[in-house]
Order: sequence, then structure tokens, then C-alpha cells
Amino acid sequence: MFVARSITADHKDLIHDVSYDFHGRRMATCSSDQSVKVWDKSENGDWHCTASWKTHSGSVWRVTWAHPEFGQVLASCSFDRTAAVWEEIVGESNDKQRGLSHWIKRTTLVDSRTSVTDVKFAPKHMGLMLTTCSADGVVRIYEAPDVMNLSQWSLQHEISCKLSCSCLSWNPSSSRVHPSMFAVGSDDINVTCSGKVQIYEYNENTRKYAKAETLMTVTDAVHDIAFAPNLGRSFHILAIATKDVRLFKLVPIRKESTSTGPTKFEVQIVAQFDNHNSQVWRVSWNITSTLLASSGDDGCVRLWKANYMDNWKCTGILKGDGSPLTGSSGQPTAMSTVLGSSIQTSQNALNGISAGSSLKALYISAHSPNHSHIHTPVGQDCHARR
Amino acid sequence: MSGSKPDILWSPHHPDRYVICDSELGLYRIGPSSGAEETTATLLAINSDTPYMKCVAWYPKHEPECLLAVGQANGRVVLTSLGQTHSSACKELVGKEFVPKHARQCNTLAWNPVDSNLLAAGLDKHRADFSVLIWDVSSRMALDSGASANEKLRLSLAEADSGSVVTKPLYELGQNDACLSLCWLLRDSKLLLAGMHRNLAIFDLRNTSQKTFVNTKAIQGVSVDPHFHDRVASYYEGQLAIWDLRKFEKPVLTLTEQPKPLTKVAWCPTRTGLLATLTRDTNIIRLYDMQHTPTPIGDETEPTIIERSVQPCDGQIGSFAWHPSSQNRMVVVSATNRVMTDFTVFERISLAWSSTSSLMWACGRHLYDCAEDSGGGEGSAERDIATKMRQRAGSGYGHDTVQLWRNHLLAGGDDPQLKSLVFLPMMVTHMKLCAEDLELKIQGNKQSLVYSGIKNIVKTSATESRRSWSGSEWQTDVPRFHSDERCLALRLCGWISRGSDIDVETFLRSLEQEGEWERAAAVALFNLDIRRAIQILNTGASTAKGELNLNVVAMALSGYSDEKVCLWREMCSSLRLQLNNSYLCIMFAFLTSEPGAYDGVLFESSVAVRDRVAFACMFLNDVQLPRYIDKLTNEMKGAGNLEGVLLTGLTNDGVDLMESYVDRTGDVQTASFCMLKGSPVDVLKDPRVQCWIENYRNLLDAWRFWHKRAEFDIHRGKLDPSSKPLAQVFVSCNFCGKSISYSGAAVPHQGRGFSQYGVGGSPTKSKVTSCPGCRKPLPRCALCLMNMGTPVSHCPGTGRSEEKVDLTRENKLAQFNNWFTWCHNCRHGGHAGHMLSWFRDHTECPVSACTCRCMQLDTTGNLLPADSS
Repeated sequence: MFVARSITADHKDLIHDVSYDFHGRRMATCSSDQSVKVWDKSENGDWHCTASWKTHSGSVWRVTWAHPEFGQVLASCSFDRTAAVWEEIVGESNDKQRGLSHWIKRTTLVDSRTSVTDVKFAPKHMGLMLTTCSADGVVRIYEAPDVMNLSQWSLQHEISCKLSCSCLSWNPSSSRVHPSMFAVGSDDINVTCSGKVQIYEYNENTRKYAKAETLMTVTDAVHDIAFAPNLGRSFHILAIATKDVRLFKLVPIRKESTSTGPTKFEVQIVAQFDNHNSQVWRVSWNITSTLLASSGDDGCVRLWKANYMDNWKCTGILKGDGSPLTGSSGQPTAMSTVLGSSIQTSQNALNGISAGSSLKALYISAHSPNHSHIHTPVGQDCHARR
Repeated sequence: MSGSKPDILWSPHHPDRYVICDSELGLYRIGPSSGAEETTATLLAINSDTPYMKCVAWYPKHEPECLLAVGQANGRVVLTSLGQTHSSACKELVGKEFVPKHARQCNTLAWNPVDSNLLAAGLDKHRADFSVLIWDVSSRMALDSGASANEKLRLSLAEADSGSVVTKPLYELGQNDACLSLCWLLRDSKLLLAGMHRNLAIFDLRNTSQKTFVNTKAIQGVSVDPHFHDRVASYYEGQLAIWDLRKFEKPVLTLTEQPKPLTKVAWCPTRTGLLATLTRDTNIIRLYDMQHTPTPIGDETEPTIIERSVQPCDGQIGSFAWHPSSQNRMVVVSATNRVMTDFTVFERISLAWSSTSSLMWACGRHLYDCAEDSGGGEGSAERDIATKMRQRAGSGYGHDTVQLWRNHLLAGGDDPQLKSLVFLPMMVTHMKLCAEDLELKIQGNKQSLVYSGIKNIVKTSATESRRSWSGSEWQTDVPRFHSDERCLALRLCGWISRGSDIDVETFLRSLEQEGEWERAAAVALFNLDIRRAIQILNTGASTAKGELNLNVVAMALSGYSDEKVCLWREMCSSLRLQLNNSYLCIMFAFLTSEPGAYDGVLFESSVAVRDRVAFACMFLNDVQLPRYIDKLTNEMKGAGNLEGVLLTGLTNDGVDLMESYVDRTGDVQTASFCMLKGSPVDVLKDPRVQCWIENYRNLLDAWRFWHKRAEFDIHRGKLDPSSKPLAQVFVSCNFCGKSISYSGAAVPHQGRGFSQYGVGGSPTKSKVTSCPGCRKPLPRCALCLMNMGTPVSHCPGTGRSEEKVDLTRENKLAQFNNWFTWCHNCRHGGHAGHMLSWFRDHTECPVSACTCRCMQLDTTGNLLPADSS
């Protein structure tokens, strides 16, 4: 059972991203109000905003934390075509005593010609590396050669994905068994274009990233993508937010050590849920990749969990405003029957009334069993028919 | 209006009322339905007085509240009302008609939001006539008060024959043109924006001869953004244009993605820059979220558009209307049958999991923190493995290396998978001892045997012996197999205890104590002691509550006969499948099977692997047994069943099995602890095992269980010496540059950390105030100004010496107080105890003129471990 409580965010516009640090004690939010806020969790579990500053001259799409071994470092990306790296410093002022911290911009990455849609740090075993993707379809990988000097970033790789990129995710596996790998999603709405999710892998010999896989079955716009923490499993799981929630399992085909070229994967679709019934916006894995959270156009947050037989099921639904939903179904099939029955009912109600006078009042109730209606993804609450 | 295309209008003042117009006008009230969260619409009134409706506009002022202007196909505009108590003002207005000179279709109507007596009507073209007429609805009332008696008379006469008909508009605009859409500009109530034929025009009522216009095709559905009065949207076919009135020459933005013509465009009244559009024959509403106000200057920057499409209902949408005050809410009406849907457009929610299993999401401008309710009534089995592992780590799971069986209890004692692991460490110890027994026979490979499972043990041949049933009169012997290895396997399965004793009685007693009657009976039966089995069942029936049918089973058992064809055998083999308890089931399977064909027992998957393996070791011959064990092993490997560790041992097979377990559960904790016990040569070097261990350590770090991680590392270092890290810090003398470590002089990389610098009052270490290499004194503590190595004197800062404190703890801390510590930033330092007490009250370094905020430099350093006592 999950219980939600509201936090006063005080952002002036829509919040686009929430990100936790490694320990889960700090959090960063970014918003269309062009600012980033940093939150610290107090001992009693309350969140306090300890820093808020204007970061960009456009909507800030994403914010992300570096591993704490590189210091307290954030990266943000924005519609203003830039990405920026921020570091918390111990200033001369007495901010700390007042419960505030000071963040300064270490660098602005200005290589993109279009909106930078996502920014992610690479897994820490690769060093301090930052990846951006932009609406013009380019993924850029930057590296800070000296982790003590965050103002120096060199552009290491520039990978053209051909399609407008909306999101990227590194495979967090730190194992030496798997080469570094990331996935890029595209929100290109042209369905006829090729697969909207591409997976790139680092090739030790060429020292370049090469495309390892394109998920051709994903043809609709992809809004978010998340590699599951691998945790020593023999395969990778990739969650994709498109018009539904999709889970792909990538099983590396164990190859001879002599062969080169990208790893071949056996790609299996593990689950596909259209319970959000329309666009799915975000997906996020918990630390053991045993729980997946997704959010969609139905205004709900859904939690998914696999049982021992690897069947994924919905284990919780929460409305966007934090209020719980009663009941647990939420299948689209339930929706259609409800709709059918409500039409039936209102028709019956109408049949009993003559349509003679031009002015009359009658009561039409959207009669539906209350167990499932509120879960219907389109979220409508009223049907009346005449 | 041809009933096919309905439209919706929200009441400007009643948040719960709206009008749907198709062939008639219907007023609805929307409200929460009883009990549920859904809403229902109640039809309040229907008005079908005005035929040929083309367009409708709701009077914007409070009073009269339900006044509507209806534009008809013949160009007439009629004021009408919907079933309200008629106030005097309303009575005056209702029924009034405004008739243009030439009859043509009225396309659009717009009330002036400020001068609410002004109603603009847009008409089709008629030769050189005007197409935009602005009527003054209060014209007669004005006449009432100020007009001459003559005129009054004339009007009343006119009223008598044709109702209150007005034929003279206040303004006539747009000569020789057609008007398709109209809206009053919000920045100035004298300005009217009209979508004319092939141009958009702004008319100024103060100077009607002049107009500002721009040639464009996008002239339909002009509407002003209620939050940004210079922003206007219009459309043409599938093309949507956004205009900035300050820079009217061309649209700031054109969106041409719709394959079908647009039918409605509406700005959201509750949010800035949210535009909803609808095309023909579709069930989606497209939303354009304009994040920035478009700037006319420097038109390089296009406004950010986040495009979304929402699907409010299944059927095709006829029209929609934003709710005037509820956030992002709209009512949608279907193209046919007037099915209405109350629909809220939700903000896109972004979300993130924290490492401690709480979920944060942002919806709109609000944040929601969501955590798993630990006090919930559900069983802990339901919880996620992340939560379970965290709890287990917190309670010390896996760390108890002395009393290994306790680990299972620490894990919560509810996971059958982990229960089977209790036997694993026992097995390894067992194997070590047994290997000694076997040493004489198996030469050389003692080491590998220690970690291997039953699969590797039972490869040698066994001698067959026929044993008869004890305590019964049957003559049939059952073939049983013996060998030392099989004996060892039985021991590992727990059936017989260590030593020369091969009696199962001890095991039976322990099972009886735990109340596992069925299992005990089955074990007794497999040892061919049917009387003991019956006795166990009887005891079980008499002690356990409600288990009376154990007696029935005992009865059935006692009827056993060894004849090949008899009713008992026939009935038992068919009815046994209906027994709930699998142990009872396999008992009868055993009795009804031919010797050597025990599939009913061996493949009963709900029986513990231990018992099945033990059974196989007793009754399968040298050909069957390895085949069975191999098959079972593969089955366990495939399923990731930890019980299979008994078969595989901590060998590479075991790693395969564990991999399958980790694949399924993600429980790297158990995997790490199990594999640590394995052979350092093969298993610990396996990259998969290394990967699990790394991942588990990373988890502990993320949970801030740093103490647990350190303990794990210590534990690991004992079992796998190669995992020990090298010394991290070397301190060299300022003068000679040599390491100041005493013990480390010979082998510096194996220095024991800081402990050398402590003096602890030991006389042999009294010289540690100087460098062992050059005998120069060590640096001084910034606070007590003594050379390092001097024992710490009483810290004045603490002032707690009188307080009663835990003595052992105090002693430990006293040792730590002697340590030499320094700031990495300013390189000032001193005794750890002195430094700590200084920074309790200060933020800056104790050295004069040094402003370094040593204690605040590291944010992670300020984090407290989550597992400190």
C-alpha cells in the first residue's frame, strides 16, 4: 500500500522533472519557470527547499544528479538549446546556517542547435561523463577529464540518430561483462519512420558508439525510456513510455570473445500495458528494478510488479493529486462495458418520457458501477445521452 | 442548425451549467453523483423555439443570467432564454429579433465583454452589403427612457405586428465582404477582430471607416487568448495560425499537421497558453501548450510548443468546451446522440524512485511524496524485494557467521526459498567433516569436494541390497542401494545424522516435534517401517487440531498388501491424487509403484527437493540416479529454485542456478552471501558472482548502510583475501619524505591505517611524536599545539567528563581522539578529538587567518549512516 502526501513546491510553472540523488536524501526539480530547485530531506522525513535559482532562458526539461563521488553536481537541459552543469559550493556567505546552499554554474554546453531534451550522467565506472540528446536527433557525450575541474568538458562523441530525440537512458550495469550501452527514444510522430528506440553500444576496438539494436516494433512517439538497474541479472530490461507502457528484455547472446562488433541481443517483449489508455509520459524503476512506476494521460501513476513467473501486473494506482483510488481494476475492457451499460440505462430513462413539450426537465444519470469507472483512463465522469 | 453538429457553451457565471445546441438548446447542470467520484448531468431545460440555428452566444453579464443570442440561417439574430424566472430586464430582451436588410446566413455572434449591450453578428456576403453588423440589444430600452412619445408609439405599433424587431444596427462594417468569425479584443473593448473572406480585419468602433487587416486564408474561429490579450488563434482547413496583434503582418506560428479540417479551436481559460483543437471525424482533441509568450521582436525564437493529444471518449467528438473556472476541465459532446463526457486534461506527471523505495512525482506545480506504508496490514511477503533486502540488511541478515541458521530468522522467516538455504552453510561444514571421513577413499580432490553438491557426489557405484519391510508379514523385498557416497548424500539431505549411525529415528523425532506429521510418516515409510509411519500419523491425528483424517490415512496405509493386482492398489493409485498433502500422496505412490519406477514420488514438485533426492539415493540404481539428479538439477537451474543448491553445491552449476534466481528475484543479497561461502578459486572469481557482490555493496552504499557494507567487506576479506583493498593513505615526513608509519617501515603498503599514530599510553610507542626516519618532530595539533603522537589531554570543549557515559564506548572514542586528522582543503589539522569538539561550535578552521570551512566541504560527509546504532 502506497500513501502519498503533498509537498508545496512553489514553482511558478509546470514541473517537468524530478530527480533523486544517489542516497535519496536530496532531490532536484526543474520547471517551465526556468528554474531548478534543490530539496533536502530532514531527519524527520520532511523536504526543505535549500536552493532555487534561474538556470536557463527557457523551459528546463530535465535535471539529473551526478554520483556523489564527483561532488554535489547537477546537470540540467533546456529548450534554450543548452545543457548546464552545476556544482554546490560552500560559499563565503552564511547560507548554510540559514539552511540554504549555493550552486554555481560550472559550464554551459552549447553544441546543440535545437532544444536539448534530455541529459544524463553515464554510470560512474565510466568516469564523469555527461550525455545530452536534442530535438535535432543528435546524442552528445561529454567527458570531464579532470573530475576536480568541472568547467572543462570535452565533446567525446557525437552520434546522429536521424530522428528527433526525446529521451535517453544509460544502462546502469556496472559490470565488466557488458559494454557501456545507452538507449535513445524519439518523439517523432511519423509512424512510418523506423523504430523509435535505438540502442547504442561502445565498441572497445573502434572506440566509438555503434548502433546495436533498433526496436522496430515501437513505431509511436516515445516520451520516456528507462533501463532497469541490472543488479547482476543476465539480461537487461528496458521500459518505454509510448502510447502504452512497454517492457523489453534484452538478452545478450553470449558470443565468442574473439568476435568483434556490437553485441547481438535477443529482444523479447515482456509486457505491454495500455491501461493509461493514451500517451504514457514517464517510466521509472526502483533500485532493484522490481517495481516500475508509470504516469500517463489518465492523470494517474501506476505501479507495476512482476511475480515469480515474470508476469507483470499492476499493483497500485494513484491519482496525480495523490488521492488513492478505490478498487484495483482499471482494465480498458471494464471501461467499454461501463460505457455500454450507461447508454443502455439512459436510453431506458428516455424511452419513458414523451418528447412533446419544448420545455421540460428530466434527470439522466450516468449510471455506472462505481468499482471501475473512476479508473477509466480517459477520466470522464459523466455520460448522458439523448 | 442541422442537428448533426452540436456545440457546447458553458454558462459564464454558473460553474455547473452548460448549454448544448444542435437542433434545439438544452441546458444541463453537472454535479457529483451520489457516492461515487463521477459526475452526472441533469437536463434542466430544453428550448426548441428557434429553428435554423447557426450560432449561439451567451450573454456575458450576470443579469439576466440565462440570455442567449441565436443566429439563424436567414441572418436574423434572436434573443432567447432557457427556463429561468424572468426578471424584468430579461423579459424585455427575450424574444427580441435583429434583422439584417438582406437575408443570408448568420455565421457568428459575439457579445462585447465590456459593453454588454453590443452584439456583433457576422454574416455571409450579399452583393455590396455589410457583413458585420453590431446590434445594440438595449436600443429599445434606451428609447423607452429618452425617446419621444411619437417614436414610442411607432415602436409599439411595430411591436404589435412583428414583435420587438430591430432592423437598424448600431454599426455596419465589412462592406462587400463575408464574415466567418468574430471576436472582441480583450485589450480594448472597442476593437473587433473579424475573420473576413481571405483576410483578418480589426475594426475600431471609434473610427469605423478604418480597419487594420492582413491577407490570410486562416480566417475561421478567431479567438483571443484570455491570458495574453495580444495572442490570437485562427484556422483554415487543417492549418492553425497563431497571431500576435502587435506584429500582425504574419502569423508567429503556423501548425499544419492536421490531415482533416479543424472544426473548433479554444484557448484554455484556466491556464496560460493552452490551446485545444478539434478536427472533423475524430475522437482526439489536440492540445498545444505554448510555454513562452511569443515575442514579436527577434522572431528567431519560435515559441515552445508541447503537443499532446487526448482522447476523452471512444466515439467521434462533435464539440467541446473548456470549463470557465475548473482547472483544465472540459465537457465533450459526441458527434451523434449527444453523449457527453466530463473530462479533465491532466498535467504530465514526471516521477522518480528514490533508492529507499519512495516515489516522488510532480503533477502540475505540485510535488507528491509517496512511500510504501510500512504499517500496512499486508504480509511482508507482498513487499518488494528492495524493501525486504533493506530490512534484512538492517537486521544483519547474512552477517551472522557463527550461528548460520539464524540468518533465516533474520530474513523474516517467511520465505520458503531462503529457508532451504539454511542447509547450505550446514552443508559446507558437513562436507568438510565428511570429506575427512572419505579422505582415504577419494584421493586428491578433497578441496573441490567440499563445495560440491549431491550431483557430484553420487557418481560412484553402489551395492544393491534387498531389504524387507520391518514389522510386517510381507515377503516382498524392496531393492535398496548403498554406498558411502549415497550415505553422505542422505546426511546432506538431513535424513541421517553424521557419524556411523544410519538410523533415521533422530530425524523422525525432530520432524514430529515440528509437527510435520505427513513428512515424518513418509520418511518412515521410505525406510520401510510401515508401523512407525502409522504410529506417527496416529500421534499427529491425536495432537494436531483438526487433522483427524490422518487417522484415515493411517487406516488406508495399514491395508497395504503386496499383491500386484488387488482393489487396494487400484483404488490407492487413483485416489491418492486427490490427497491435499503431497507427502501423503507420495506415500501411496511409493506403495503402488513397481520397484525402480518411482516417478510418482520423484516428480512430485511440491515435495521438498531434499526429500526427493534422499529418496532417489535410496531407491534408484546407478543408471537411474545420475539421470534423475541431472534432470532435477536442470529443472532447479531453470526455475532458479534455491533448494537446488543442495544438488549443485557452490560450484559453477550453483552459480548458474543462482543466476537464474537473481534473474527472477533480484535478490543479490542472498546471492552474495551464498557465493561468498563458495570456493574462492572457481566461484568467487566468476564475473557474475563479482557482479552480484558489487551490486549488493552498491545497494548498501545507496541505503547509507555503510557500517553494514564495511562489515560485509570484512567478512568477504576473510573468505576471499584477494578482495582486501590496499592502504589508502600514506603520510610522509615533512623533512625526510619517508613514511612516518612505524610498523609499515618494512612493508609500507600493508600499513594498518591510522592506528599507528595512536599512542594509547603504551611505553613502546612513546617516541611516536617524532618521525621514525629522521627523528624530527611531527606537526603540531592546531588546537593543543602539541606534536602529534602526544596523547590527547582532556578536551575542554566537550565538558562532559562528569556525565555518565558508556565506559567501553568512551574508551573506544578516547582511542579515536588520539588520531591525527586534517582538512584536505587547507591542510590544517590536529587530534581528531580536538577537531571534533572545535567544529561543534565553529564553522571555520581553528588556525588563525584560515577561513576554510573544513567541516562543510563534503556534503556526503555530513550525511549520517542509516545503520549506526
